[in-house]
Amino acid sequence: MQYSPEGMMPFGPVHPSLKEPEYFKLFLEGEKIVAVEPRIGYVHRGIERAAQERTWVKNIYLFERICGICSFHHSIAYTEGVEELAPFEIPKRAKYLRELVAELERIHSHLLWLGLLGHWAGFDTLFMWIWKDREHILDIEEAISGNRVNKSYTTLGGVRNDLPDGLADRIRTEMAYIEKRAVYYKGLVQSEETIVARTKGRGRINQELARKLCPVGPLLRSTGIARDVRAEDPYASYGDVPPVVQTSNAGDIASLLTLRLNEITDSCRMVKETLEKMPSGPYRVNFPRSVPAGEATFHVEAPRGELFYFVKSSGGSVPERVKVRTSTLANILTATEMLKGHVLADVPVVLTGMDPCFGCMDRISVVDVDKSKEWTIGGEALRRYGIDYYRRK
Amino acid sequence: MSSEELAPLVSRLGGTINAGPKTTVLTVPPDRVVDACKGVSSLPGWYHLSTITGMDLGQDIAILYHFWQGKRFVQVRTQIPKSAPRLPSISGALAAGTLYEAEIQDLLGVAFEGNPFLGKKLLLPDVYPPDAPPPLRKEADPHKIKKMMELE
Repeated sequence: MQYSPEGMMPFGPVHPSLKEPEYFKLFLEGEKIVAVEPRIGYVHRGIERAAQERTWVKNIYLFERICGICSFHHSIAYTEGVEELAPFEIPKRAKYLRELVAELERIHSHLLWLGLLGHWAGFDTLFMWIWKDREHILDIEEAISGNRVNKSYTTLGGVRNDLPDGLADRIRTEMAYIEKRAVYYKGLVQSEETIVARTKGRGRINQELARKLCPVGPLLRSTGIARDVRAEDPYASYGDVPPVVQTSNAGDIASLLTLRLNEITDSCRMVKETLEKMPSGPYRVNFPRSVPAGEATFHVEAPRGELFYFVKSSGGSVPERVKVRTSTLANILTATEMLKGHVLADVPVVLTGMDPCFGCMDRISVVDVDKSKEWTIGGEALRRYGIDYYRRK
Repeated sequence: MSSEELAPLVSRLGGTINAGPKTTVLTVPPDRVVDACKGVSSLPGWYHLSTITGMDLGQDIAILYHFWQGKRFVQVRTQIPKSAPRLPSISGALAAGTLYEAEIQDLLGVAFEGNPFLGKKLLLPDVYPPDAPPPLRKEADPHKIKKMMELE
């Protein structure tokens, strides 16, 4: 049997889970993008279907594998959603530890994005600097949970282990370092010619469009709409240690850079405050194997925005249904609007602006409307094209 | 949002309200779903459609539209028979629902009339067997489908 290239990607005939890599078909008039058509599902692994065949606890490890960058947010969205169905009081210390690790994850995710944006814009030194700094956060995450990526730290009823002795002081030192670096990067992205030329005025969206297409996270906040699940509908210990919601009114990629750097600074503040206010006591309670029948709707503010979970239990040891809506899926329609009117050379930076997964850049189809000609351009070729285009300008 | 705030909408559309601790569920007949979603999203501050969930209930398929504001969700809920899985699309009124409907079309086989992805695939590969049940339906057996696709 012959397969199309898409058909050869890993696929489970079940439900979407990893919705990150996207395919965009770009319709061009000359250099100008006039229409964009998304096609997703290339790394569809059927995690929602698989969850219906696994126990409540096993599913924690399954859901955190939806995304390697915000794995912890998937696991807390799932566990806190399930915990809503069971009449258990989760220890307060566990709630604080969840917020601590969630904010560390936000810092490393935003740093990862900033580095990637530097790479796509042709500023690889920035990429190297930032990813070196990100290692500090990953090392802390490993010291807390034993793992850098899939941390498996949260569990039903609390977290798996307490904060190791002596780690709090190291975290404070690292937060001071990251805060200092964030100030430096903020000055850099606002003044460095390459970054300014590639991001200012690019991928602009406004509040009207945001209300229509319902994007989430920094993309939404870059239009000046101050919506953040942590502040609006607190979970973990965000009621005690809330964020200062960062917004911008420019709605372009340049404003997203500053906004995310401000969020890094605020997350550093929250990590330190969480350590200060964290109560003593147990970090976990025993949780039943069966979850009472019912439905729970839960969401968290992942680094890329609102991450949504719907959980339905029929009272057994496995869920009847778990629905996941990742942040990127909510942002795809907005990204297609962000691209319109720009030139092909802007695609890498504008698409990276919405903070998608790496894979998306490898699947760009280009259609020349005038010549009715279609071709595919790979990620690296598109990156070089963008860099050369702006060098020539 | 309290039941009282939704009461005028329910009396106009016909349906029931069930207010839980965090979610208010507004159940409506399938042909009133677009009006119900438009009605909720036009209430002050309720423009955000978080997502749409599809659930196979055995004989029927439940479709849940999740709206969020502050500490509460409003869920517009409807049920359609599996034997006639068709529903009007909200994408004309609420563009944010376009991809969520397309996802349910792929995975549960519900046709959302008026959605630009109607009849097109968003998530499933082009080679997905046309005679296989949609993958998230209870009768779908992943191993059988893989065999049909010559992947096993």
